Amino acid sequence: MKRVYTVAARELSSLFVSPVAYVVLTLYTLLAGFFFLLGVVSFVETLRQAQAYQAFDFLQQMNLNDALITPFLGSMSVVLIFVVPGITMGLFSSEKANGTDELLLTSPLTVWDIVLGKYLAAAVFVLLLGVLLAFFPGMLFLYGDPEVGKTAAGVLGIVLTGLAYAGIGCFASSVTRSQMIAFIFAFVILLMLLIMGAVAELGAMGNAAWLEGFLGYLSVGEHFENLALGLVDTVDVSYFFVVIAISLLLTKAAVESVRWR
Amino acid sequence: MIEARGLSKRYGDFVAVDDVTFKVGSGEVVGFLGPNGAGKTTTMRMLTGFLPPTDGTALIAGHDVFGEAQAARRAVGYLPETPPLYPEMDVQGYLKYVATIQDVPRSERAPAIDRAVERCGLGEVRRRLIGALSKGFRQRVGLAGAIVHTPPVLILDEPTVGLDPIQIQEIRSLIKELGGVGDHAVILSTHILAEVEAICDRVILIHRGRKVEDAPLADLTAGGRKLEELFARETSRDVAAPEAPAQAEGSA
Ligand SMILES: Nc1ncnc2c1ncn2[C@@H]1O[C@H](COP(=O)(O)OP(=O)(O)O)[C@@H](O)[C@H]1O
Ligand SMILES: [Mg+2]
Repeated sequence: MKRVYTVAARELSSLFVSPVAYVVLTLYTLLAGFFFLLGVVSFVETLRQAQAYQAFDFLQQMNLNDALITPFLGSMSVVLIFVVPGITMGLFSSEKANGTDELLLTSPLTVWDIVLGKYLAAAVFVLLLGVLLAFFPGMLFLYGDPEVGKTAAGVLGIVLTGLAYAGIGCFASSVTRSQMIAFIFAFVILLMLLIMGAVAELGAMGNAAWLEGFLGYLSVGEHFENLALGLVDTVDVSYFFVVIAISLLLTKAAVESVRWR
Repeated sequence: MIEARGLSKRYGDFVAVDDVTFKVGSGEVVGFLGPNGAGKTTTMRMLTGFLPPTDGTALIAGHDVFGEAQAARRAVGYLPETPPLYPEMDVQGYLKYVATIQDVPRSERAPAIDRAVERCGLGEVRRRLIGALSKGFRQRVGLAGAIVHTPPVLILDEPTVGLDPIQIQEIRSLIKELGGVGDHAVILSTHILAEVEAICDRVILIHRGRKVEDAPLADLTAGGRKLEELFARETSRDVAAPEAPAQAEGSA
């Protein structure tokens, strides 16, 4: 465990001396600010119109969670598909490019020490993104009264999505020595995972209901949405851990495969 | 200390290393000599456990590099052909990281790093970023990383390649010093004959993946014989041809 921490600490300190970490953090915060502002503006506009038309039933039902926070977190979950690969792209590929894989793989570290250490570094970064993001809906508590549970479930959804994406990003980085290829590869996988839900919903599968259900299960969006709606369910939460576990097993296999070439 | 038993490595049909067997004992500095592409790097990677051999086994300090990987790896200091450095780290931070992953106990890390810095002459660049260092210094940082945990076995892949003559001198005397310590075994690869003559006690000559000579330097250079001639003779011979030293000598 200590060795995992050693690998993670080195990775994080390298991440924070490179511009990548700051570019990613800045971009993410700017986009969050943009989507949040957009959400607030449209919330106010909807409110104004509902009042103008005296739609009291509608006003009764309207709340900050459903009308603002949930859609905001939804947008940010999509932003993650290019933010997380930016963090993970160098994890393994740059070791190969530097020749430092030869140091790691001939040291007493095990392959699991290396893989888990690197994943832990990415996970810490994802948590940082989660904290930054929580700040935006957090502001609403000063001016209104959104539901704490629902909001927290949504942020948890973002963090779990980010953690799952980090696993996939690790794997993408472990199969190449080029950071650029690692980024693109991760992005493509994540895009496919995201689109899968839409494909399932479109019913493009004809009458194969099981296939539709299966694709729906694979799709990140499906599980994220439930969390964003405040439904914390073991099926959805475990989905993210299954993705992480599979990704890390594949990463370990890829790191070891250096030896079989 | 180092033992190769019938090591072979095949890449598809291509045989990079072919049934290489040798031993290096305590106190020896062995030159692993061969032209480019002879299979030196591949052999060293098998000795350090980075590459699994297609056939054969490697032992470090009596431990099988795959069977008892942890024990074997702790006993080795390895300088790969390209020094494994992180350009964004400073020298001190790098050596601390290497010492940590090499299981140097926390309380011994600081003195171990000081010793490596001093031996490799890195005092003046200790706080500098590795990426900003000259090639000579980077090579020394790689060497410092290889010795920071004071391993009994050193495996150095072309440690002086790309350095200027002064740097080459410095690295050579450093290696000689390291090898001079009683219970150490050093194997270094090179394609430079002068290097072998300058620092090694013994020569293992490898050509097209096969060991073609293994003898003390003193024997090879006895009676005014030149290492160049041996090298030229052994490396010009076709490997497929049966060994015929008498013939070769006759035509010389
Ligand atoms: N991964 C690989 N795939 C195929 N051939 C390789 C690979 N690595 C090395 N070789 C070949 O093996 C031979 C020996 O290489 P190497 O051990 O690097 O030689 P040296 O270090 O003596 O210059 C070379 O002909 C090289 O092209
Ligand atoms: Mg080589």
